[in-house]
Amino acid sequence: MTMMQRLSRVDAINWNRLQDDKDLEVWNRLTSNFWLPEKVPLSNDIQSWNTLTQQEKQLTIRVFTGLTLLDTIQSSVGAPVLMDDARTPHEEAVYTNIAFMESVHARSYSSIFSTLCNTRDVDDAFRWSEENPTLQMKSELILKRYRADDPLMRKVASVFLESFLFYSGFYLPMYWSSHAKLTNTADLIRLIIRDEAVHGYYVGYKFQQALAEATPERQQEVKDYAYELLLELYDNEVRYTESLYDEVGLTEDVKKFLHYNANKALMNLGFEPLFPSSVTDVDPTIMAALSPSADENHDFFSGSGSSYVIGKAVATEDDDWAF
Amino acid sequence: METSSSVSSNVAANDDATKNAATTKPAETKRSAAVASEARTLDYHALNAMLNLYGANGELQLDKDREAARQYFLQHVNQNTVFFHSLEEKLDYLVEEQYYEPGMLAQYSFSFIKALFEQAYAYKFRFPSFLGAFKYYTSYTLKTFDGKRYLERYEDRVCMVALTLARGDEALAKSLVDEIISGRFQPATPTFLNCGKQQRGELVSCFLLRIEDNMESIGRSINSALQLSKRGGGVAFLLTNIRESGAPIKRIENQSSGIIPIMKLLEDAFSYANQLGARQGAGAVYLNAHHPDILRFLDTKRENADEKIRIKTLSLGVTIPDITFELAKRNDDMYLFSPYDVERVYGVPFGDISVTEKYHEMVADARIRKHKINARAFFQTLAELQFESGYPYIMFEDTVNRANPIAGRINMSNLCSEILQVNTPTEYDDDLGYRQIGQDISCNLGSMNIAKVMDAGDIGTSVEIAIRGLTAVSEMSNLRSVPSIAEGNAKSRAIGLGQMNLHGFLAREHIYYGSDEGLDFTNLYFYCVAFHAIRASNQLSIEHGEAFAGFEDSTYASGAFFDKYTDQAWLPRTEKVRHLFERSGIALPTQEEWQALKVSVMAHGLYNRNLQAVPPTGSISYINHSTSSIHPVAAKIEIRKEGKLGRVYYPAPFLNEANFDYFQDAYEIGPEKIIDTYAEASKHVDQGLSLTLFFPDTASTRDINKAQIYAWRMGIKTLYYIRLRQSALEGTEVEGCVSCSL
Repeated sequence: MTMMQRLSRVDAINWNRLQDDKDLEVWNRLTSNFWLPEKVPLSNDIQSWNTLTQQEKQLTIRVFTGLTLLDTIQSSVGAPVLMDDARTPHEEAVYTNIAFMESVHARSYSSIFSTLCNTRDVDDAFRWSEENPTLQMKSELILKRYRADDPLMRKVASVFLESFLFYSGFYLPMYWSSHAKLTNTADLIRLIIRDEAVHGYYVGYKFQQALAEATPERQQEVKDYAYELLLELYDNEVRYTESLYDEVGLTEDVKKFLHYNANKALMNLGFEPLFPSSVTDVDPTIMAALSPSADENHDFFSGSGSSYVIGKAVATEDDDWAF
Repeated sequence: METSSSVSSNVAANDDATKNAATTKPAETKRSAAVASEARTLDYHALNAMLNLYGANGELQLDKDREAARQYFLQHVNQNTVFFHSLEEKLDYLVEEQYYEPGMLAQYSFSFIKALFEQAYAYKFRFPSFLGAFKYYTSYTLKTFDGKRYLERYEDRVCMVALTLARGDEALAKSLVDEIISGRFQPATPTFLNCGKQQRGELVSCFLLRIEDNMESIGRSINSALQLSKRGGGVAFLLTNIRESGAPIKRIENQSSGIIPIMKLLEDAFSYANQLGARQGAGAVYLNAHHPDILRFLDTKRENADEKIRIKTLSLGVTIPDITFELAKRNDDMYLFSPYDVERVYGVPFGDISVTEKYHEMVADARIRKHKINARAFFQTLAELQFESGYPYIMFEDTVNRANPIAGRINMSNLCSEILQVNTPTEYDDDLGYRQIGQDISCNLGSMNIAKVMDAGDIGTSVEIAIRGLTAVSEMSNLRSVPSIAEGNAKSRAIGLGQMNLHGFLAREHIYYGSDEGLDFTNLYFYCVAFHAIRASNQLSIEHGEAFAGFEDSTYASGAFFDKYTDQAWLPRTEKVRHLFERSGIALPTQEEWQALKVSVMAHGLYNRNLQAVPPTGSISYINHSTSSIHPVAAKIEIRKEGKLGRVYYPAPFLNEANFDYFQDAYEIGPEKIIDTYAEASKHVDQGLSLTLFFPDTASTRDINKAQIYAWRMGIKTLYYIRLRQSALEGTEVEGCVSCSL
């Protein structure tokens, strides 16, 4: 791979000499968005959890187990291989943050489990996740690209994971939240969505930069590969969605959501959308909840909200105290 | 007894087209609507969510929300409302099945009750927004014991509230129905929710209790937290008096574990009471900035706090005296004083002394253990925590006490930072019995809709009816489980009349929030409210031949309170505002009228020790279709998230194409104009006003500190939450989403 110059030696990172301003912008966003699952009072959802049917509970646990697997892949394989491909030391630093936050996400699902569910149901779900062919296929399809020696396709795989594969899972907490169920869990998922939206966007941005330097033939090749991978993932994702959502009758709407997010993932890569708008008209309650902006006016007595960030500390000066 | 999915004229439908919907089952409708194809009738959640999505031509889809409200009735409410043939049958059934309090209804003849219900139904009340209807039916209306079917419509609830508060007075009951169903007066949640029900919590909103520096008081406090949460109120505790960690116990050094473990106990007590249902158990704790545990107290809200000390659901408040600002101005250190030593030196708990007054004396007194932190660093830490969590609230202690007309000291506020009243300590025996019952604080609240009051034009009557309704709540409440609260309530009859829909009114009238005209109006509106509130309480005092306990030591009794009104004329300074009051037919009280009121108050007293407090009004402003409190809107289309509601969307009341620009949101308006507006209102409010500050996530701690300094300089009494809004990183927005781009 001639166009990708890997960092061969380690130099002290100087954040005051940027090759790409985007690195700092994203770094700042990610660090100020740092959070831990302990901030969310998940136990306020216990009553609501108990109103779910056994079927709905099982669905919810399975969905979160599936998400846990994706976050684990991203944290332990995805972000590290992207780090190897980094073009600037700052980009590498951003991936270290991404890797860590993906671990926080994976950890968060366990916090949800330990707060709401009993151990046996969770163990069952993890066993299910190991045995579910479509979930395992999803993981294999991505891992294969991560392990192959093609940095551009690694980024493509990463963007598809962040911007497409997660959303069949994210659908459910957003659905619950708009129906007044598990609202604190939804706060936590919003924090995850807030992160993943930036991750997918950033990797896509780096991909586009790299792609622009490639020959037109190579560009076409990568593009073909990307669509091919997406279709492969999509076929699998449809089966995965059916296996999860058929029982509660939501499959059709989740599929529309898949189409919507597949287009979004392609956009992040700078490619044209694949699905026409006639098959992306997701239920408005889900669409309206999707925005990664942190602008919910939450009620402090029932939750901690998803809008707080680590602030920029700046000392006051004498002028400020002129009274 | 017959139930039916159709609806009689008594239980009138929100819409006349009810019959069409009677064929679909509600649970089915929701799910199938989510997945059905083109020809579908969208379910009400989906219609409501369309408020947050632009229409095909990039327009706001305000009509979708009205449609959502309509569909909510068609698809859900009407089909799940129990049907009765007549009012008589309904009341008989509800009393017999122990839903309604028979004693309350027995105060009236049936013919009167029937006429009252007819009066209420004649208004043809309709919920203008989906959230208003959804909130009402989810949280307020009477339901069957299994929670599955509705037994009341909005009109029924209003009548039950009026009948309860009027206590047999037919004229008052009719006036209350008038004021409430027209939306001019809206009782706070506990009152509106509970009145007339046999299985119910208390009518009072809010409690404030001291904790003294001994184990009996601490133990009693945990018990009070349980008892009061069970009855549905928010409870605040004062921690300032508690000795710091490392302080001696029985003179043995390094024994006390300070305030954090008490906070943990309280948090657990609140969440336990929460599990019993009703309303979320919610509590706050207040601490003086000069308490040695102040930084530990704040660190409980850190993002990376250890589980053992992390406080998740308890709200925090800090009381800051003037001296702290003076020290920060000089960039000095600030001393923190051991409450244990202070109490031994002065003979009163730390919370009962003025730190500003005694500061230098205490610094010089070797008997008082102390250590120091940098004052500016303290303010910066406050702001850091507010960034991370929204907490703590702030009470400007000296401002509050200077403005207090009542003898005594105010050392804390409440869960919403609008209650500001004096308290006295309780003493216990070893067996936890009461040696001396002190006075703790309770407050029942209700808010007026500014736009509706201005439209009706009789502000005197509206305020008086509201004051009578609130006073009834105080008189009817007997909180025996916490004797210090019962004592405080019996002696003070404190109430808190609030206001809401300021921004809605201003925008409707094409006035910008925080503009010169906006400030002019705020000042004069609250000026009128103050006059009529005092007049009504004076009238009650004359009727009962009794004033609140301690009246004789207040500045009402000395007459000094009235100086600011009798010494100068309060008149509009802008043409527009003069016109608004003229159009409403509301006369501004003159100096002569104030003089006459002063004479009457000095002669006959006031019935209520406290009269006004402006609460944040979350839920009730949705039901009442107003903007919250006297804040600007958080967004033109507010995204509301609550445990019981989920994520829902609320359009600013009165919002239309013509007034669109006047609904700038709180983040655009910025802290200064909000503070200016509150400063105008504060001049006329004897207690406090919940003031939230709004910042974009790009602000720094310095910006928050500057706003706090400005608020303190402007005579603001308390600051409530800091709210942050983070817009999506460019490139990650969702296309067509209103909240991303507005």
